[in-house]
Amino acid sequence: MNASDAHSRSPSAETILAATQRWRQQLSGDLHEHIVEAIYSRAARITDRAVSRPGRAARPTFDRTLDRVLTSRLTGFPIMILLFAIMFWITITGANVPSGMIASLLIDQGHPWLRSLFGAAGSPWWLTGLIVDGMYLGTAWVVSVMLPPMAIFFPLFTLLEDFGYLPRVAFNLDRLFKSSGAHGKQAMTTMMGFGCNAAGVVATRIIDSPRERLLAILTNNFALCNGRWPTQILIATVFLGTLVPASLAGLASAAAVTGVALLGVLLTFVVGWALSRTVLKGEVSTFSLELPPYRPPRLWQTLYTSLIDRTLFVLWRAVVFALPAGAVIWLVANVYVGGDSLAGHFIRVADPVGVFLGLNGVILLAYVIAIPANEIVIPTVLMLTVMVTGTQNVGAGAGVMFELDSDDAVRQLLSAGGWTTLTAVNLMLFSLLHNPCSTTLYTIYKETGSAKWTVASALLPLGLGFAVCGLVAWSWRLLS
Amino acid sequence: MKAGMNTAYTIVAGLVASAVAFWPRRGILARWRQAQELARRTRREDALKHILKSEASGRVATLQSIAGALQITTGNAAGLLEELAAHDLLTFEGGRLRLRPTGREMGLHVVRAHRLWESYLAEQTGVAEDEWHYRAEKQEHLLSPAQTLELAARLGHPTRDPHGDAIPGADGTLEGEQDQSLNGVEPETPVLITHLEDEPETVYRQLMALGLRPGMRAFVIERSTTRIRFWADGNEHVLAPVLAENVSVKPLPEFRPADLVEEEYLSGLKLGERTRVVGLSRACRGPERRRLLDLGFVPGTLVEVDMVSPAGDPTAYRVRGSVVALRREQANLIRVNSGDAEST
Repeated sequence: MNASDAHSRSPSAETILAATQRWRQQLSGDLHEHIVEAIYSRAARITDRAVSRPGRAARPTFDRTLDRVLTSRLTGFPIMILLFAIMFWITITGANVPSGMIASLLIDQGHPWLRSLFGAAGSPWWLTGLIVDGMYLGTAWVVSVMLPPMAIFFPLFTLLEDFGYLPRVAFNLDRLFKSSGAHGKQAMTTMMGFGCNAAGVVATRIIDSPRERLLAILTNNFALCNGRWPTQILIATVFLGTLVPASLAGLASAAAVTGVALLGVLLTFVVGWALSRTVLKGEVSTFSLELPPYRPPRLWQTLYTSLIDRTLFVLWRAVVFALPAGAVIWLVANVYVGGDSLAGHFIRVADPVGVFLGLNGVILLAYVIAIPANEIVIPTVLMLTVMVTGTQNVGAGAGVMFELDSDDAVRQLLSAGGWTTLTAVNLMLFSLLHNPCSTTLYTIYKETGSAKWTVASALLPLGLGFAVCGLVAWSWRLLS
Repeated sequence: MKAGMNTAYTIVAGLVASAVAFWPRRGILARWRQAQELARRTRREDALKHILKSEASGRVATLQSIAGALQITTGNAAGLLEELAAHDLLTFEGGRLRLRPTGREMGLHVVRAHRLWESYLAEQTGVAEDEWHYRAEKQEHLLSPAQTLELAARLGHPTRDPHGDAIPGADGTLEGEQDQSLNGVEPETPVLITHLEDEPETVYRQLMALGLRPGMRAFVIERSTTRIRFWADGNEHVLAPVLAENVSVKPLPEFRPADLVEEEYLSGLKLGERTRVVGLSRACRGPERRRLLDLGFVPGTLVEVDMVSPAGDPTAYRVRGSVVALRREQANLIRVNSGDAEST
């Protein structure tokens, strides 16, 4: 048998291709459909042969009963609201104590101790300033404010997730999110965003439809994150609480903070509605939501994974950005060009713009240099205000962030810095509507793999923030 | 000194302005030229496409029909034909327009590019259905033959576009529209909708708005000279004959109308009811279709309504041992057998 013999017996490539082409034309409909159908019927045949079922397999009655209660018209929503209220309450009250402990350890004790250590080693003032006052203090601040709430919120969230409750929340709320073109699972990522936007963005992985996932990523920043609550509460207490009689002060400031958070939720829907009808129109969209059976949550495993995968993951990213940002904060306050610090130059240039928007130059600079974490915005604002006003006996020196113990002292300092009620209201709005922190931006870049969407997610809330603040300032001046 | 500075500024400004205007390929002039060139090519290709399509469906392309299809004056159409003849793309033999091989190939390429792009939009993007044709009309002139082949390979060499038109192969000939129109169907005869003519666009949009799609099954209920009442995948429709002319169908001899009517949609099922899946509607395409298939909504599968969201939508279905929530629009795409429905 030789080669040409074999060649003449087997059909040539052209014949085979022609035959496949002919058969292809005869295939009706979608090939994928036929294949899936065949796989399922084959699998069904195999299981019928190999698996015997005592009686008919039905869902456990416990699951059914629980589902009836959790998704009922009567009890579904109240249970949901109650559960999340409890979760937030535990997080906020529970985080205060460890936050204070870490702060006193790292900031009140660690900071002076490090300074004296550097001093003893004969380090020049600028090196001590850059490393201890800048990098160390910035990072310590981020860790002490960020770590405890996340270490409480994430495990609680993961427990609910592990139990199988969160898909039911998506099931209950899908109708609401659908009206803005979003997926019901965005309820979960938004909820996660209240803890931390970076974690919220990572959580959008559960949404498997590309358009709805992008939507969830781009609007996650409208969930007022853990790092912004303290700013809201402080400013509301100091400036808005004092506008009403003392007995109503607490109520008024709480209402103001809740109002801002609800505005964020409203914007999530409005912006989502607009995006899904414009730029995201051509993206692929498919809906599906699986409701897994309930499982007893595995406590230790949940604690471990939520601490490692979520808390430490986010914290590490924040620290990576806080180190250089701490250095920048110290440098802008301490590097002098032409008789004024860099911060002074920036504030002078930015002040007219800031005042036009109902803010001021200090706030704008604080939001630029405190980009690694929203937690350090207020300490940076206080430090810069002391620097600009030249207030004596307050603070710890140029470029050193600090916080004040009494609300009165904060009001005195900020009022000296030219703050009015309008500034306070607009700062609360701008705190909700500005670019996400660098940790979140980096996470968005990692998740979408696109510089375009990262830039969009930064400019979209920032543009909205300028627009809203400008509008409020304009009407404020018109009315007063 | 000051005058010198001014001169320098003027020169720099002049250089910048001329760079903006004359920069190769990016300048205003170059872009304007490209746009002109594209418009010329579009006119040529559209004319060839029109002649080819007329030929394939047994009509004769004339100067008037070309002017009508391209929305230009007959004078311009005559100039265009002369230009095409000069490029050896067509000839006038005995007063009839005939395509030369190069012209035929160009026309085929445009049709292929158009239908492949529509398939691409349908299968791999979320672009709304009523925009496919409009977008493909633009894209067909931008794709090169090589890009078209690449696109075909990426889509798995589809043979038909989402409207049911055959996509001409690389060697290919253009298949004419041979199926009968809905106008010619006797009442009570089950048929399969094979094609919806996408030109003129206003008619096409009306048909789309009624929810008609290729792949749907239908039968005429009654027919008069002014209107046709027919059933298609669960709904009754009324069309004027002039619209029905644009719906192509082919007979389904193996079915009776009663077989078709018994099919219902999953969305019609009530809490606790159980039935079998018959198939997915043709209006369900691309990723959406694959997702539903992967979840187990294939013919023969038992489906049971498990629970309804407190907001009324979505609804959770039990399928192959797992619970999956679907929105109403999706449940509207899954055909089930109503004769089979039972409560648990």
